[in-house]
Amino acid sequence: MKELFPAKQVMGFVFSMILTVTALSVYFLEMSFTVGITILLVTAFIQAGLQLVVFMHAGETKDKGAIYTNVYYGLIIALATVFGTLLTMIWGYQIP
Amino acid sequence: MKIDNSLPLEYSTEENQTKILGFWIFLGAEIMLFATLFASYFVLVDRTGSGPTGAEIFEITPVLIETIVLLTSSFTIGLAIHAMRIGNKKAMMAFLTTTLLLGAGFLGVEIYEFVHYVSIGAGLQTSAFTSILLLTLGTHGAHVTFGLFWGLFILMQVRKQGLTPETANKSFIFSLYWHFLDVVWIFIFSFVYLKGMM
Repeated sequence: MKELFPAKQVMGFVFSMILTVTALSVYFLEMSFTVGITILLVTAFIQAGLQLVVFMHAGETKDKGAIYTNVYYGLIIALATVFGTLLTMIWGYQIP
Repeated sequence: MKIDNSLPLEYSTEENQTKILGFWIFLGAEIMLFATLFASYFVLVDRTGSGPTGAEIFEITPVLIETIVLLTSSFTIGLAIHAMRIGNKKAMMAFLTTTLLLGAGFLGVEIYEFVHYVSIGAGLQTSAFTSILLLTLGTHGAHVTFGLFWGLFILMQVRKQGLTPETANKSFIFSLYWHFLDVVWIFIFSFVYLKGMM
């Protein structure tokens, strides 16, 4: 029975639950928007990294270079899309 | 078909390796798809018109249930792949079944949520906010629904054919998809629900 629950994955699960509880603090505790959004950004990205490395076995095989390059590429496009949209549609900018 | 026994079963042939890399590339495209939905959501989140705001309609209990259920299902599919790698077909099938049941549970709560939103007057056409909210949640939910059927068919194949390089490869790729849906949910949980209720 024990061999079916490897320590690495069990620890990964426990850690992901801890991250979820940490993220929940923004709901249950009183805090400023900046502090809250910082907590959410940190917990969400650590959680994503955890899934990727512990559960998705990225980096275990010889195609890890291609896998990580592709994930980073997707991530860069995603961040450019989200923050580029926020910049042009919400925050605005002025050319001096 | 050249089988390399030094690698896990799902990686054991060249075709299998190519399929796994190909699926990672697909997931890269999925990241971008959800990024466009999140970008639209952040733009439209305050455009509530005469409809409700997020803080008025979000409820913490169903959201927490969904999060815990989906995180647990991500853990159990990880255990299924581990069981598969040590060649334990019975345990692999048990963990895969658990994953699918948890996925169905998640979907049940999400359907309840949608019915609830519509019943309190936050439908697809109420405001720009409810529109993009339901579209973002719905796209994720549709992915989970698709995953349930996909997983079910893989379960049937493993039962019939056993753990072969082919079924192991399919199962591994399914696990990548399932973990990815969990990652997307974490972002919905953090930046749609918790940010909205903060």
